[in-house]
Amino acid sequence: AFSAGSRLLRGYRGSHVVIRFALGGCTNRPFYRIVAANSKRARDGKYLEQLGCLDPLPNAYGEKVAGLNLERLRYWLGCGAQLSRPAEKLLGLAGFLPLHPMTVTGAERLRRRRQREQQPEAAPADGSAEPGTAP
Amino acid sequence: SGAAGPAMLPALRRCRPGPVPLPALAAALGPGPFPGLCPGWSPRAVPARGRKTRHDPPAKSKAGRVKLPPPVDPEELLVVLERYRQHRLVLSALRAEFRAEVLQKKREERLAAEVSVEELEEHRRLMAWNDEENARQRARREERLKKEEEEQKRRKSEIAEKQARKMEAFLEEKEKEVLQLQEEAKNFITPENLEARIEECLDNPRNYNFAIDKDGRIVKRTVLS
Repeated sequence: AFSAGSRLLRGYRGSHVVIRFALGGCTNRPFYRIVAANSKRARDGKYLEQLGCLDPLPNAYGEKVAGLNLERLRYWLGCGAQLSRPAEKLLGLAGFLPLHPMTVTGAERLRRRRQREQQPEAAPADGSAEPGTAP
Repeated sequence: SGAAGPAMLPALRRCRPGPVPLPALAAALGPGPFPGLCPGWSPRAVPARGRKTRHDPPAKSKAGRVKLPPPVDPEELLVVLERYRQHRLVLSALRAEFRAEVLQKKREERLAAEVSVEELEEHRRLMAWNDEENARQRARREERLKKEEEEQKRRKSEIAEKQARKMEAFLEEKEKEVLQLQEEAKNFITPENLEARIEECLDNPRNYNFAIDKDGRIVKRTVLS
């Protein structure tokens, strides 16, 4: 059936194709390649196919740039590839897959934390202003 | 990406109300998103190794250390579990879609490589003809089955009727027998009638000195006369 994957999978036991991030770049300068590889391979080792890249550091305009090969992504997902969690989150944010639940949950938590930080600032500010103005 | 799911259920179990053993710690945690929640603290957490191997003993400064798991808000947990469930549903549907696409492409490639256009056309035509034949046969089969069902029902009802009639006849027979017996019972000899009947028999002697032929008639004339 799926010849490229199965010929390379020979030699490993209990492994599967995984779409994940392979780290490259230099010190203090990471760079991820979105890669379809055997799950038992090293993170930066031999892969089946590169499906895109991600630059985690924001560029001059404050954007984090990523590139995706959606056609081949569909092929590998149809062949039964698993996704790593950051890969799922990235694809959710890109719109190819539905948003990951933890993305939404993290955003909610952040919002709540910011509200809580603002309220103590507002409350002491009001408290310090009222005794000054009221009596 | 599915590891969070089974790990969350023990987290939910951990969210039990219980006394806070170290109030200082609770105060230090602050009024977080889980106010009023005192999880049952069990000293278990995910270990992480730095310089020491698993065979090195822990340091003396860590003697009284109580390692606590991160606190979990049960409402948020339920919400998150529901979101995960829906997310996985959508993902599996998408995977099925992509798989169908891949298989379709493979099939088309194989056909295009092996088989020419006319053969494809003929294959499609024959498949259509086959479908029509199947439909026709199905219609005929359904008619036949309907007729057989009706036949079965009719036979069953006939049998039931016959049974009912037999039952009625039988009951009538039994009724007649009972009435006949009741009639004959009037002539029985009972202990009360015994004396009277004996007197009656003795008063009316009967002569049974006769012969009968094979048909049951009394013989008036013998052979030697």
